[in-house]
Amino acid sequence: MIPIQDFLMLAAALFAVGSLGVILRRNALIVLMSIELQLNAANLTLVAFGRAYHDSHAHAFAFLVMAVAAAEAAVGLAIVVGIFRNKKSVNVDELTLMKH
Amino acid sequence: MSGLLLAPAVQAQMVASSQLSEWPLARVILWIIGTFAIFFGVLTITRKNPVGAVMSLVATFFCLAATYAMLFAHFLAAVQVLVYAGAIMVLFIFVVMVLNRDETDAVSLRGVVLKGLVGVPAIFYLVLKLGWYLFHTARVLHPEDPPASFGTVEEVGKILFTDYLFGFEAVSVLLLIAVIAAVVVARTHKHAGTTPGSQPPTPSPASGPGGHH
Repeated sequence: MIPIQDFLMLAAALFAVGSLGVILRRNALIVLMSIELQLNAANLTLVAFGRAYHDSHAHAFAFLVMAVAAAEAAVGLAIVVGIFRNKKSVNVDELTLMKH
Repeated sequence: MSGLLLAPAVQAQMVASSQLSEWPLARVILWIIGTFAIFFGVLTITRKNPVGAVMSLVATFFCLAATYAMLFAHFLAAVQVLVYAGAIMVLFIFVVMVLNRDETDAVSLRGVVLKGLVGVPAIFYLVLKLGWYLFHTARVLHPEDPPASFGTVEEVGKILFTDYLFGFEAVSVLLLIAVIAAVVVARTHKHAGTTPGSQPPTPSPASGPGGHH
């Protein structure tokens, strides 16, 4: 039997890696990928608690999270493509259109 | 706090420490898979080439699918491979092909000292607090294996179509909106007149996830 803490620590490590990617990287595509990594870490936590409580509701919830992640990836990538058309760049530091 | 310790709590602590020290084969395998997942995750955020980052992320998702299978979430493990490693990452690859732009400076360290001064104590506090709660709870709530129906398509489907029916329908509407929004945002505006030298139309990335759901 594996302690639930192992899964939680793994999820925390993956979430930390995703957070670092969001904060440090400048490529909008990599930032979106890091967000996917964070969503997966949260999903792993849900599934680990579902196993600990013998409760399948966590699986349904994780499934809905996956669907929302798919929608987010579609819209996010479309916005990246649109920005690239207008500004010829996907660097998030250069996107200051809404700053003022 | 020590005055409030009751016999069951002490027992739970003893069970907890014994479970922490033992390393059955499943736990070793979990940490091998977990090490690979973290390794490929770090590769994802350090690659300069976006294609390499996408491939590393696919490897991370496969490792996570294996972890789900170890948690008896068989349906979610299959969906993880199909939806994440399949549909979503293909979408990412499409966009990488469309953009096809080399990066000049991958990582920005501007203002990292100020952010570090704020962030490091916050992260330190968070890790301490989380670690405290992690190691002072019972290790395993149900040590025995779950029933055979746990995590199967049948059980998850029953829950999705009864308890979470509204959420399920809401997500389906959300996906429809996402498909339409992606087409509207990503298409070329030929009749708008704002960009006289318009580029040739590129394939819309919206058809990827929309077709899979």
